Amino acid sequence: MSGSVATERRTGVLGSSVPRKEDDRLLQGDGRFTDDVEPARSLHMAVGRCPFPRARIESIDVEAAAAMPGVHQVLTGVDIVARTEPIGVLRPVPGAVQLPFYALAEEFCVFEGQPVVSVVADSRQIAEDAVEAIWIDYEPLAHVTDTLAALEPDAPVIHPDRMESNLLASNPQHRGDAEAVLRDADVVVGDSFQIGRVAPLPMEPRAVVAEWRPGARELTAHVATQVPHLVRMQLAESLRLDEGEVRVITGDVGGGFGLKLGLYPEELLACRHAMDLRRAVKWVEDRLEHFRASTHARESVHEFRIGADADGTFVAMTDLYTTDLGGQNSGFGSAQLSSIVFTGPYRVEDGAVERRVAVTNKTPVGAYRGYGQPEVNLARETLIDRLARRLGRDPYELRLQNLLGADELPWRNAAGALYDSGDYAQCLRMVAEAIDYERLRAAGRGPGEDGRYRGVGFTCFVERTGYASAKFLANRGSRYGAHESVTLRANRSGGIDLYTGVSTFGQSNETAFAQICAEVHGIDFDAIRVHAGDTGATPLNTGAFASRTLIAGSGAVREAAQELRDKTLRIAAGQLSVEVEDLEVVDGAVVSRTDPDKRVTLADLHRAAIIGQGLPADEQPGLEATAHFEPTDAAYAYGSAAAVVAVDAETGEFEIERFVLAHDSGRIVNPGAVEGQVRGALAQGFGAALTEELRYEPQSGQLVNGTMLDYFVPTASDLPAVELLHTEVPSPVTPFGVRGVGETGTIPPGAAIANAICDALAEYGVEISSLPITPELVWRAIRKAGNGGESREG
Amino acid sequence: MKPASFEYLRPESVAEAVATLDLYGGTARILAGGQSLVPMLGMRLMRPGAVIDINGLGEELGRIEARGSETTIGALVRYSEAETSPVIAERLPLLGTAIRHIGDRQVRNRGTLGGAIAQSDPTGEVALVALTLGATVLVTGPGGERELAADGFFVGSYANTLGPEEMITGVRFGVVPSRSAFFERGRKHNDFAVLSLAVVATPESDGTWHDVRIGMGGMNDTPVLARAAAERLEGARWDEAALAEAATLALRDADPPEDVRASAEYRAHLLPIHLGRLLAGLAKEPRHG
Repeated sequence: MSGSVATERRTGVLGSSVPRKEDDRLLQGDGRFTDDVEPARSLHMAVGRCPFPRARIESIDVEAAAAMPGVHQVLTGVDIVARTEPIGVLRPVPGAVQLPFYALAEEFCVFEGQPVVSVVADSRQIAEDAVEAIWIDYEPLAHVTDTLAALEPDAPVIHPDRMESNLLASNPQHRGDAEAVLRDADVVVGDSFQIGRVAPLPMEPRAVVAEWRPGARELTAHVATQVPHLVRMQLAESLRLDEGEVRVITGDVGGGFGLKLGLYPEELLACRHAMDLRRAVKWVEDRLEHFRASTHARESVHEFRIGADADGTFVAMTDLYTTDLGGQNSGFGSAQLSSIVFTGPYRVEDGAVERRVAVTNKTPVGAYRGYGQPEVNLARETLIDRLARRLGRDPYELRLQNLLGADELPWRNAAGALYDSGDYAQCLRMVAEAIDYERLRAAGRGPGEDGRYRGVGFTCFVERTGYASAKFLANRGSRYGAHESVTLRANRSGGIDLYTGVSTFGQSNETAFAQICAEVHGIDFDAIRVHAGDTGATPLNTGAFASRTLIAGSGAVREAAQELRDKTLRIAAGQLSVEVEDLEVVDGAVVSRTDPDKRVTLADLHRAAIIGQGLPADEQPGLEATAHFEPTDAAYAYGSAAAVVAVDAETGEFEIERFVLAHDSGRIVNPGAVEGQVRGALAQGFGAALTEELRYEPQSGQLVNGTMLDYFVPTASDLPAVELLHTEVPSPVTPFGVRGVGETGTIPPGAAIANAICDALAEYGVEISSLPITPELVWRAIRKAGNGGESREG
Repeated sequence: MKPASFEYLRPESVAEAVATLDLYGGTARILAGGQSLVPMLGMRLMRPGAVIDINGLGEELGRIEARGSETTIGALVRYSEAETSPVIAERLPLLGTAIRHIGDRQVRNRGTLGGAIAQSDPTGEVALVALTLGATVLVTGPGGERELAADGFFVGSYANTLGPEEMITGVRFGVVPSRSAFFERGRKHNDFAVLSLAVVATPESDGTWHDVRIGMGGMNDTPVLARAAAERLEGARWDEAALAEAATLALRDADPPEDVRASAEYRAHLLPIHLGRLLAGLAKEPRHG
């Protein structure tokens, strides 16, 4: 019976690159994604979308579509407004109206791609045919797509019923008197930085399969999401059901990156149709829809300033930035972390940061890996290099001078963030050494034999991972907590079933949780089976985002594993007539340290506990533990990167010859998984830094490159070689000293590459103030610099 | 993929395929490798009355034939077949080089040379090579077979002189100049070109170059020949001044588009620089060996 359980004791499982549990099934094609769920007699949904950036719906004629053979139901905004509640916002913008939205537009559409009608038919093809047969009269309304133009007095107000302008909120924070310090500073550098709008682009788009059994009053929604328990709450609210009547199952999720946070209209629509039709309804987003109907990210404008003394000491930083929310709120809304980390890892006493949120007629913006941190990093770090040039200082030395020392931590920054621990300068020194900075500097910038100039760019960053506490979140009105919850249940094969509401979307949560469980409990890693993402089977938790899963989850796993282990040892002590302290779990058995012949296998022990036979008199049957854990503080990961870039000054074309990242994610649970996370995030960081940008044509308000044909997401062939270095300074505020790691890689590419290019072209006086950094942008920057800083008419 | 409905037909001969095209009065489309047609069907950007799948016509359309001085490539020959063909490596090295810039391995395993010419993408590598090498497009229609010079075949963005009831059966190349060079720059690996260049010429022992042809992709709404530039170099010694002049003269035949990949201004900026470098590289190659 216990033959399937590995008998070899893995030692030191915490911290080793054990193969990922998820990979066995994924690599054999046995993953189960939402589109793989195919209940009998399933129907298929298609969604008709507004083709205009802003419009009023004058009329909708569904008659012909509803009469088409194979069409089962057509819903319009009027139906949805009458029969559902608006979709709530999980992370509201502090101090702002929430702009909740219905799943279908009733009268006004505020972005291209907004759902207007939904059709369910025997097949997706028929449903799409029917959508085409629905006649909708739109009155196009004045629109605005540019972030800053939306805040001008003459901009059309997009939500005139709820707002007086398109400024949703201003969130200022400050410490000291940065303005006064800047007035007195020896030198001040500042600029405006434009960060392009990008798509998170998980390989699996969004998907839902909804089933309703009216007799059981049970709605089962298979949803590709990062937060099944939150989607359950939102579905219950919008569909006017009790939470007990809703079960959300994620199965395997093909990437999230923050995009799959919370309920979207289509998931709600599929459920509404399924409830009306009493048939399973499936919808899988296609890539064209994805580019218009799933949240975008990053787009923002940062007005950043740094003040310094003549000796290079930073004295103040300010950042007034505007994020672009799109037409309405999304589950998480536009990025908020730029404020938290705007001063970076530097010793800056006086600082002021203000986030403004602008509403525009574009696809709503949501969370995306990094969530404001890559954006602000570009602004701050390119300005540090400009400051260095202004002062005639080496940018590497200037950073070392201003980095917080290990002995200065913990440090509270000007935005109130508490950096817990670390050695920031060590990472910077490591990357400088790796690229042999001294030798490169001595070699000069060129042009070299190949005619190209070579430059070095550095960037240093801190990264918030996890949340400070539920109290911190409550102050912001967030509708979720800061904890994770895990249930461990012994099984009769001598294994442990681990139940978590953290869905599996590529972040190695199953592997990491099992490693921690094995470490604490003593059971073999292979004997642990993780069940993830089914609200009907897992404890209510928070969900996977903000690099918080391991920070909170490791505590919950630890506590549950300890509880389970303690009871296991107590039972064994009774059965073997030895002291608990004499026992340990080894090789699938509880064994006496002093007399190894005294042992009971976990299979036998679990069976005894499960059926309640052969237990010590004072023990209850059952062997199961649930733990909830809320960390006391966020942990701050950190790192430094260096890029060596060769630039063709004639064409603006450039090549990243070296890219070295040294980072600290605290105690590492699985080095292989950490490396995978960092490299994956770097790929997205390079994409946003170099090629990716969603472009809207201002006159028509149309998204002009919303296909994989015209949106330049990098492939493996496009990415530079990356060299990774790690330090491992444990965080004092988390279990095991872990820090989050999922988002790190998104932060440094833009700044490091921009700095390297500007360094290479220092003699031209080139400045880069926007992402993505395309060869054409570099060429224009060269031309502008050569023209005394003025743009020349083309 | 969720195309609008269409008839799917799989003819057993070119004659049957052409008869079917005729039957549908020009509303049918030929399915070869499907690398352009299938996505357009899925996005409903194309709604043909019928899709005529010619993938069963390998006997008639799937061969690479070397006959005398001529090389004929069947319309169904996949990019990857041409890429690895010793015949093409020996006789049409420019084509072999250019094909490596098409899409990714999966695309090259499916896509066909006939499909590429029919698609007439302004940045298409096969179209650019066919034009530069003065190839002949072989066509069959209800009225019989036709031979169309590649020079003149491409008449606009994704437009050519193929009749709606005709299909391409192959492309024929004659003797090609002894030297060739290819360059392509895109926004990402093997993406549609921002700029692509193909150059062929034959150096003579007296130091002059002959049979000079220069093709440009991404610089107009079709692949185009840089005629003025080629004329400047024809029969000339390729010294620095001649190359610089020719590189600039290429702009005369360019009318670059403005799109998400690059501005027209930037394309025009890049053209003489990269053409100049490509020509200089070719001129520097050893004359023999």
